[in-house]
Amino acid sequence: MEEEKEKVPLFKKWSYWYALEIGFLLALIIFFYLFTKHFS
Amino acid sequence: MSRLDWVVLIVTLLGIITYGLLKSRTTKDLDGYFLCNRMVPWYIVLLSIMGTQASAVTFLSAPGQAYTDGMRFVQYYFGLPLAMVLLCITFVPAFRKLKIYTAYEFLEKRFDLKTRSLTSFLFLLQRGISTGISISAPSIILSSLLGWDLIWANIFMGGLLIIYTVTGGAKAIAYTQQLQLIIIFAGMIMAGYMVVHLLPPGIGFIDALHVGGKAGKLNVITSGVNKDGFNWSDPYNMWSGVIGGFFLQLSYFGTDQSQVGRYLTARSVSESRLGLLLNGLIKIPMQFLILLIGVLVFSFYQFVKEPVFFNQSQLSILSHSKYKDSLSRLREEYDASQTLKIKEMHQLSQYSGNIESPANQQARTALSAINDLKVKDRATVRRWLGDSEVHGDANDTNYIFLRFVMDYLPKGLIGLLIAVIFLASWGSIAAALNSLASCTIVDFHKRFSAKTIPEKREYNLSKGYSLLWGIFCIGVAQMANHIGHSLIEAVNVLGSLFYGVILGIFLVAFYVKRVGGAAVFISALIIEAGIILLYVLSQYGIVHLAFLWLNAIGALGVVVLSLLISLSKEKRTPPEQSTQTSMQRSA
Repeated sequence: MEEEKEKVPLFKKWSYWYALEIGFLLALIIFFYLFTKHFS
Repeated sequence: MSRLDWVVLIVTLLGIITYGLLKSRTTKDLDGYFLCNRMVPWYIVLLSIMGTQASAVTFLSAPGQAYTDGMRFVQYYFGLPLAMVLLCITFVPAFRKLKIYTAYEFLEKRFDLKTRSLTSFLFLLQRGISTGISISAPSIILSSLLGWDLIWANIFMGGLLIIYTVTGGAKAIAYTQQLQLIIIFAGMIMAGYMVVHLLPPGIGFIDALHVGGKAGKLNVITSGVNKDGFNWSDPYNMWSGVIGGFFLQLSYFGTDQSQVGRYLTARSVSESRLGLLLNGLIKIPMQFLILLIGVLVFSFYQFVKEPVFFNQSQLSILSHSKYKDSLSRLREEYDASQTLKIKEMHQLSQYSGNIESPANQQARTALSAINDLKVKDRATVRRWLGDSEVHGDANDTNYIFLRFVMDYLPKGLIGLLIAVIFLASWGSIAAALNSLASCTIVDFHKRFSAKTIPEKREYNLSKGYSLLWGIFCIGVAQMANHIGHSLIEAVNVLGSLFYGVILGIFLVAFYVKRVGGAAVFISALIIEAGIILLYVLSQYGIVHLAFLWLNAIGALGVVVLSLLISLSKEKRTPPEQSTQTSMQRSA
């Protein structure tokens, strides 16, 4: 299959990319929360 | 606009059309015209995905939305990264493995022809109408700026865009979107810089944020909870963004051919995934920055006279109506209060070091009263415009950023920012026309044709359908001019009416193996009718539900109902026949 031959860019597995995606979202929400609190 | 602005605008637009035509060379078949022979690198896929999602509406309405309602709109995108992850795990490998042209081909392989045709039809209906709305956004600007007739503005706008979309297909679209995004980012960065630069001496970026924050414009995170509990009719809060937004984005990127057609052009599964995942990382910060420009514009207007209504053509309508004298009196009172506001704001900025000082407190009290008056005056103007005798557009959200650009930005930059609005619009409209044509030829014309169509004829038919859809969308744009709401919301509301059901069909296809074509088809029809009914009820205030929730309800509704229908069918079927049926399905 096409997918099996392909190398994952930067990381060993795609699951690390998915963790990065979700982790970044959480970090953004925390940043936005602090931003809202600070300037309100 | 000055001569320099016109030169910048015309050179930019002609440059994009020429670049699109130069990049038009592909093989003369469906694979070349719709999928660039699946040879596009990940970074072009990324920019193409972003360019397709970000329309003129994004750059026109979002700063205005932040100006009036604050930054909470950014929460609408919170579901996007989660949707990207699920897409990469399930949708992308499945679509790539089957080597399909449209997402709906997959449904025939999994269910049957009628489910594929229904889903593709719902897509054509929804995308055709929303693309028309997307054409009308820059056309309204054209007509407002140049005094052109709006009908001709729509024709002019759609006509230019069709040149390279029809000629070059997906390849021309992908490569022009790359160039368009570079120009758009450059223009928006310059606009952001200029707002801060135009603030009074002694007022910096952080001070401007404090001004916006004190006015409640930096409400990036909101819980949606009020004293009566969770507000289901609140459109933008963290929960509607994460949950409702997740379903909307999953549906948009996973089942809307205008996006599926972009990442199917990638060289491999990995490059499709990389484009989508990077979009998930970039989109929210990008939207945050666009909204921030709106807040900075708000802060800027606290130090200068703020128009009582940003759409001047509507004020001109009022000044020729029965409200002529009332408007004149209101403007006099408003102008006096704005002069006082500027004085108090400068006084407040001088005392910023001592917040508790009496002078500071006095200035704050005066500003609060002036702001109340402004809110009251704006509401009065909106009420007059909403009068059935006046028949005006009571929403000026789309004009706020533009008014600022025209009144305060230097020559040349005005032309560039007008070009930005055009380019953003072209990127999304071009991808939409390409996807509408691909579904028409692949899911209907070719699928229902009794004879085999030669490759060359398929290619020419695809060009013909792109042109016809362009003409159709311009027609819709003519009618969309009368939409009273913010255009960004109109597009999103329309998407929410159909996206949930389409997503539900795909979710059943991927995750509920026991459900067959008949069950999912009936469920989709019932739930779609229910969604439209819910929306109508919410418009009459009978049901209190924000439109984002319609995506989740539609998707889950189709999954649950089709499962129930399937289970009840299995119960009625004798055990031997049931086993036989499931064996046939697995085979």
